[in-house]
Amino acid sequence: MLYSIRHTTRYQYTSPIVESVTEVRMQPRNTDYQQCSQFRLQVRPQARLFTYNDEQQNTVHHFTQPGIHQQLAIVAESEVLVLPRPGLPAWLPNDSWEAIDAASGQHWDWVAPSNDTAPTEQLQQLANELQVTRNEDPLKLLVALNHRLHRSIAYDSGSTHVDSPIDEALQHRRGVCQDYTHIMLALVRNYLRIPCRYVSGYLFHSRTDTSADGATHAWLDVWLPLLGWVGFDPTNDMLVNERHIEVAVGRDYHDIPPTRGLYKGNAGSEMNVGVRVRMLQGSAEQIENNEDESAEPTTYRSTAQQLQARYAETLAAIQMQQQQ
Amino acid sequence: MAEARQVTATQDRRFQTYQLDEAYDEMFAPDGRPRPQYLTLFNRLLELSPSELEARQQSADLSFLHQGVTFTVYSDARGTERIFPYDLLPRIIAAAEWETIERGLIQRITALNLFLHDIYHQGQILADKVVPREMVYSSKHYRREMRGLDVPHGVYVAITGTDLIRLTDGRFAVLEDNLRVPSGASYMLANRQVMKRIFPGLFSQYGVRPLEFYGQALQNTLAALSPVSSEETTIVLLSPGVYNSAYFEHTFLARQMGIPLVEGRDLAVHDNIVYMRTTAGLRRVNVIYRRIDDDFTDPLVFRRDSMLGVAGLFNAYRSGNITLANAIGTGVADDKAIYAYVPAIIRYYLGEDAILPNIETYQCGEPNERRYVLDNLASLVVKAVGESGGYGMLVGPHSTAEERATFRTLIEANPRNYIAQPTIHLSRAPCFLEGQVEARHVDLRPYILYGKRVTILPGGLTRVALRRGSLVVNSSQGGGSKDTWVLTR
Repeated sequence: MLYSIRHTTRYQYTSPIVESVTEVRMQPRNTDYQQCSQFRLQVRPQARLFTYNDEQQNTVHHFTQPGIHQQLAIVAESEVLVLPRPGLPAWLPNDSWEAIDAASGQHWDWVAPSNDTAPTEQLQQLANELQVTRNEDPLKLLVALNHRLHRSIAYDSGSTHVDSPIDEALQHRRGVCQDYTHIMLALVRNYLRIPCRYVSGYLFHSRTDTSADGATHAWLDVWLPLLGWVGFDPTNDMLVNERHIEVAVGRDYHDIPPTRGLYKGNAGSEMNVGVRVRMLQGSAEQIENNEDESAEPTTYRSTAQQLQARYAETLAAIQMQQQQ
Repeated sequence: MAEARQVTATQDRRFQTYQLDEAYDEMFAPDGRPRPQYLTLFNRLLELSPSELEARQQSADLSFLHQGVTFTVYSDARGTERIFPYDLLPRIIAAAEWETIERGLIQRITALNLFLHDIYHQGQILADKVVPREMVYSSKHYRREMRGLDVPHGVYVAITGTDLIRLTDGRFAVLEDNLRVPSGASYMLANRQVMKRIFPGLFSQYGVRPLEFYGQALQNTLAALSPVSSEETTIVLLSPGVYNSAYFEHTFLARQMGIPLVEGRDLAVHDNIVYMRTTAGLRRVNVIYRRIDDDFTDPLVFRRDSMLGVAGLFNAYRSGNITLANAIGTGVADDKAIYAYVPAIIRYYLGEDAILPNIETYQCGEPNERRYVLDNLASLVVKAVGESGGYGMLVGPHSTAEERATFRTLIEANPRNYIAQPTIHLSRAPCFLEGQVEARHVDLRPYILYGKRVTILPGGLTRVALRRGSLVVNSSQGGGSKDTWVLTR
């Protein structure tokens, strides 16, 4: 499939700001199943764009806007070819658990619980409920877990925000793709000890998908012997396929947010995000789904008060600087 | 404890309470006679009346007060700034002893620097299982952002302050590697300045190797690591500000080097270039001697709430436009759990045995060693691995049952975070205290500069546990310091 993606992000500040510094992870990765043939990033106010590859080989763009401004717009456009993934076997060889443990040294970062995927009491409860333990073939276990997790959590687009810990979603059993992904990562790392990573990207939606169209998507890759990285999408109760477009991988969301920025000024901000994925080439049935519904952009807010609250902590931090 | 003996070399009443036992004494040999390098000082002490010594001590104290040589104690609710206590009598190191120290430190810092380069690139030492992967990756000072990033000349640790102690057999051993933001060099320099005024005759009689070039040497080191030529280089010292305990040192060193002292808000990054705001507009900066922790350097990459650093600094760093000294992520190599592996690290990279030995160390992360530690809390010193400055520490023999119970809980909750070492008899050196010459425990922190090559300042900061019997020399825990003389021959 060949897709064209347009990802727009607009920040509106409550009063003028200066010296904003922004980092963007929006360029789709090149992998065994995916090739990003075109990528264009535009920002307003205009800025010189710099780029580097982070330690996971995600492409990062960054820029600074020193002048006074009250809005920031980021538009990322890409064309990506995605190939179908090979089907999975029904089970793995008998010695797979040993192979997983033997490889966990080199996958250390993917097995160790990160900040967003550390064990909690509520996670323990869910693990008990879903019987997450090494009692079966790893692949069969993961496929079943993907399905059960999907059924345990209700998709609710307003229920959590980007900085919510997994407990927030676990408590109400409601969340968005980020929560499904963090919870499954936490279960797989803490109870199955299989290497796994957070993937951010886009989904070319079909009508039956649970996740909201018009936004970025998230899922996880799990490392399995013989197969390598296998993608699971618990939000939509499916395996990752040629409708998933991979942008960045990390230990959890906070390693790879699509945008990360700071500015100077006593102002709150409002962020609007819109994502449009179009299919340029594919089967007739799939093209039919390709309606431009122009979904409402998602809005996120942070207030000046929240920013000020951090100030007191910072003063304390000055004293916390360790003396050697 | 062996029975304490009195000094036999003299019946002088100044030495009446001088304690000699199995701890190595810097001044007296086991037979009670002064060691050769101390003989001149010893004789001079016999000539001076106690009131004369007292007068010199007062004069020294006053000098520190006037210079504003202070530090802040965080754990003290009064939050007071204090004068750094200064002891009148120099600690004297013979030329041959120093030569061993110097070779040992060069070896150690070279190996640690290779280790840092390796773990942030290929990770060969981890693949070869010389150091467990887990030890590195679970260290709170390991910075994943540094992977694959090349630092100027491959130098990660430009400034080191290694803590040495002297064992009972007289050998120097390494207690801690301080590879992040080591402090105290200003006290070393201030001590020397005062010493030359208080004992001018004795000082010149002795033939002491100079230290005064530290500022110049530090500046040369920083300039050598600059992305541009030395002549064009602008160096700044980045401080967390006046509330930081080492602020005195920041001002002192900036003045010594004649470089601007800045805080985060004085800097800005635009298009990967770091600028300093001056009265004449923006000025490009090439090297930052940063005295703030990794976590606070760039809020975009590390702690978002930090207002001490500069947003965008790390990207400028990655692009090679700015040098940070020390590099980001050096703390993983002075993690107290990695410390135990340093002799193996030296052997791995240099094919040599460590010249300066380590102190025996138990890793609480290892089940067997943990059991031993928990069974022997009363005789061991327990340390939290990521801490420094004597915080987060249990000195077994001086602890209460309650303190031991607290540490037991802490260790069991997070074993990886603790190591333990046998209680070491730090060596003792003569100190002038309340009209008497008394023996107090000391350590030694030499400063190592690593630019184009390694330079070691002859001497360092000798820290003194001024409380009788105390083994903790940290200034934050009631320690003081004294001038350290390395003899020319």
